[in-house]
Amino acid sequence: MPLDTSTTYPLTKLRLDGRRWNELRLIQAQISTNPASSGSSYLAMGNTTILCSVHGPAEGRRGDATGGSAGGSGAVVEVDVNIAGFASVDRKRRAGGSDRQSGRIASTLRSAFQSHLHTYLYPHSTISIHVSVLSADGSLLAAAVNACTLALVDAGIPMPGLLCGCTSGMSGSASTPRDPLNDFLDPLLDVSLPEEQELPFLTVATTTSIPTGADEDDDDMKVAMLTMDSKVHHTYIETMLAVGVDGCKQIREILDGVIKGSSRR
Amino acid sequence: MTDRRRINGPPGGTRPPVFASSIKPTTVAAERPQRQRQPNELRKIFLKTGLIPSASGSSYLEFEPSASLSAARASPQSVIPPSSSLKLACTVHGPKPLARSATFSPNLVLTTHVKYAPFAARQRKGHIRDASERDLGVHLETALRGAIVAERWPKSGLDITITVLEAEDDRWWADAPDSHDAAWGMMNVLAGCITAASAAIADARIDCLDLVAGGVAAVVADETAERGVSAPRLMLDTDPADHRSTLSACVVAYMPARDEITELWLKGDISKASVGIDDKNLTHEALIDGAVDAARGAHSVLAEAVRESAERFAGLSSGKST
Amino acid sequence: MAAQRQASSASQTPHISPAELSYIYTSLSLPGAPIRPDGRSATQFRPLSAETDILPGTNGSARVGFADGTQAIVGVKAEVERTALGIEALTQAEQEEYAAETGGNSKSDGVKQGSSSGQGSWVQMAIEIPGFRDDDALPVFLAEMMREPLVESVAGGGEGGMVGGLKGRLVINRRWHWRLYIDVLLLSQPLSYPLPLLSLTTHLALLSTKLPKLKSKGEEDPFFDDDWDAAEYLYPRAKSTSTKPSSIPGSISVHKVRPPVTLLVVSVAENVIFDPSREEIAVADAVLAISVTHDTDSGRLKLLSIRTIDPPSRLTQPGVPNSENVATLGSTAAAEESVIINPSTGEEEVPGVWRPRRGGVKRATIAKMVKMVLEKGGVGEEVLEGLEGVEVG
Repeated sequence: MPLDTSTTYPLTKLRLDGRRWNELRLIQAQISTNPASSGSSYLAMGNTTILCSVHGPAEGRRGDATGGSAGGSGAVVEVDVNIAGFASVDRKRRAGGSDRQSGRIASTLRSAFQSHLHTYLYPHSTISIHVSVLSADGSLLAAAVNACTLALVDAGIPMPGLLCGCTSGMSGSASTPRDPLNDFLDPLLDVSLPEEQELPFLTVATTTSIPTGADEDDDDMKVAMLTMDSKVHHTYIETMLAVGVDGCKQIREILDGVIKGSSRR
Repeated sequence: MTDRRRINGPPGGTRPPVFASSIKPTTVAAERPQRQRQPNELRKIFLKTGLIPSASGSSYLEFEPSASLSAARASPQSVIPPSSSLKLACTVHGPKPLARSATFSPNLVLTTHVKYAPFAARQRKGHIRDASERDLGVHLETALRGAIVAERWPKSGLDITITVLEAEDDRWWADAPDSHDAAWGMMNVLAGCITAASAAIADARIDCLDLVAGGVAAVVADETAERGVSAPRLMLDTDPADHRSTLSACVVAYMPARDEITELWLKGDISKASVGIDDKNLTHEALIDGAVDAARGAHSVLAEAVRESAERFAGLSSGKST
Repeated sequence: MAAQRQASSASQTPHISPAELSYIYTSLSLPGAPIRPDGRSATQFRPLSAETDILPGTNGSARVGFADGTQAIVGVKAEVERTALGIEALTQAEQEEYAAETGGNSKSDGVKQGSSSGQGSWVQMAIEIPGFRDDDALPVFLAEMMREPLVESVAGGGEGGMVGGLKGRLVINRRWHWRLYIDVLLLSQPLSYPLPLLSLTTHLALLSTKLPKLKSKGEEDPFFDDDWDAAEYLYPRAKSTSTKPSSIPGSISVHKVRPPVTLLVVSVAENVIFDPSREEIAVADAVLAISVTHDTDSGRLKLLSIRTIDPPSRLTQPGVPNSENVATLGSTAAAEESVIINPSTGEEEVPGVWRPRRGGVKRATIAKMVKMVLEKGGVGEEVLEGLEGVEVG
């Protein structure tokens, strides 16, 4: 690929899609999109489009390993991620059921929301979340977290705060120690698919405790999920994390607006 | 689903290399199998029950090889046989109690499982059932469920397993797939499965409303020497390898005593064919009626096989008492 | 909302009591004028909302939502692939060479046609239903059921038509072809048998499908126009192809050939009912999926495939008549429950007591169901006309 971020970014300070380092992609979201489910949402971050629907809390299916008695102390969260065959540029030939990527997203979401939601309110029940990825263009996990949060809010399932996810990367391979005098690498907010494929990135999701009004400040922000599977020198982690957490804050405001806007109708 | 546990053969069929220079247009065409039967004449069916002692009911079904196939077997001209004939074995296990975790069912739960042997057709089949085999399983289940008196066995299951040892191909091996290409061989296999499963169920002494027999009819176009592709005609019990192209085909599962159809599967576009000369003959209704006629034929064989099974059972029980 | 939750988590086998089943069956089997639970007429469809071209990353896409909230999304993707040559094509090449050498013209139309028509395996279909693995029986059966009529339809030639149907349209030249992937996503667990929803969505998605314009000619390796505006519809449209290369917004473009639709038809006693809901399909005597399309030559509808679907009524729980019920024994006079013969099934029945359906379907019933779909001004035409009202592209 002749036009990649790592070669053009140092010259132009603009990313492939024309964003600056600290800009999010356009986020469009909607809740209550699917009347057949308890809660549902649609979320588009740039070209990544996700539909999410929540069923429950409901009684677990009989004969199911997780249903019935297993969730004795609280609700069990089930997550099912389906990346559509037409989601990426080339049609993916999937070998039966689910592939590794969707399986990993599903297990990450499950553990994130299992601990995040107030599941103790619903003993012996199951909350099942179904995520369909209609088009994939990077930051899938972060977008899925945001879509799930919206759908769970729509379903009226109590949680301490909105769980918002965001990705951040570095504009180069960042494999050597950071030189504070000659720092030419910029962190990048909300990476897209081509950036994801060539640059190191991490996905972070944060939550806040219940907003108490005016005296809201950064101290009660908690990181609920953090995943990274690319190699980067440890000196860069702090920068990436700071940018990612800041992105989560921006996304929280957007999601907040979506929820408030739709409840007015 | 891919099979990762075994070393699999090539996904496509295998063909011996044919060099373009060695083909003479006449030699290939001469080997084309031709249908020797009348349009309404069925192939002979061999059907025997009770061959597998470990199962509660079983049957084995075989179609008579076509004239060209038996000729080719007697004196092989080529490594590739001109056509194939259906051979399948069916086992029935049950009625047996459902698994403890299964939900309550007031009726007998039927499970059907159709599997081609890897060597059954020219196209090699994997060890894991593919979409067409699962599709056949659903068709067979529909056909049988209508016949079985299911409420006499609550909370029980019945497993029907069919192994297809030799299947019919979708077309003659040397034909390029034409505009009417589809899985026609599957329909003959389904008809055989229905007849064999019905015999095996009767052999397992499961109560049925009637014996259900499968039959196939098709609208086919043949290649004749004088004027290319001939006008489409309706034929019963077609072997796809015998014909240049199959326009439309229909399988029914039919219960003669009640004059009812439990399963109907018709596909193909015969709108072009029916515009032809003998207009009245080639409608979907004629096709269904043809398939029903074929099923009636299969039913006579089925009844005979079931009678044999009953006699054997009567002999067994009287033998025990003395 | 609570009722909806319950319904969506229930499996395919309906949980309806024998008394309810019997009530629904009786009202649906009223001679001539069935009373449906939702007040529709026998041939009326449920309202739906539809939109097309919703996913920019696909060649064509559509979303259809039923009023009960179930939604489906279909995305169509196309890839260029090399065609495996059969022995006839080789023979033909040989013959042509021979003809060129000797200067004679040897032509055999049958062989010619054989190589220019496509193969059914070039169209692949996958259905994703939440709660089902994609190799479960239901998704596989549905996918085969919808793929079959698509590749079966052999449309007549004619101007602007598709020679050889969809399969013929996929042929680029003798060595290359398009492979079409149709991915169907059902967004929630189905409330009723999802076939009509999936079929309509697939129909609209295929209508909106575009393939890049071919720039290479003849037997060259295919080479396409980069301009997406110049792309051609998979199912060609009459207006836009005849007058101007780019279609003017607002102009009505008429499809000459349209993909088939599959209709779900059930019979209850003497009545034939279309687009059954969950409750109606639970009591049906017979369920048929009938695929039809427009015949371009005669302007009538033509039949492409019929499949019987296992009616769930065979799996229902039977009701117990008072005469056999230990709890009510003696409280009712036995004479009250006169046994009647059901005219459609020919079985003895006590009125108001549900029996699971047994047996098959009469040939006359099948013929009646097919006729109602196919006849001029029948339900099939009505559905296709309704779909033409959806603005595509």
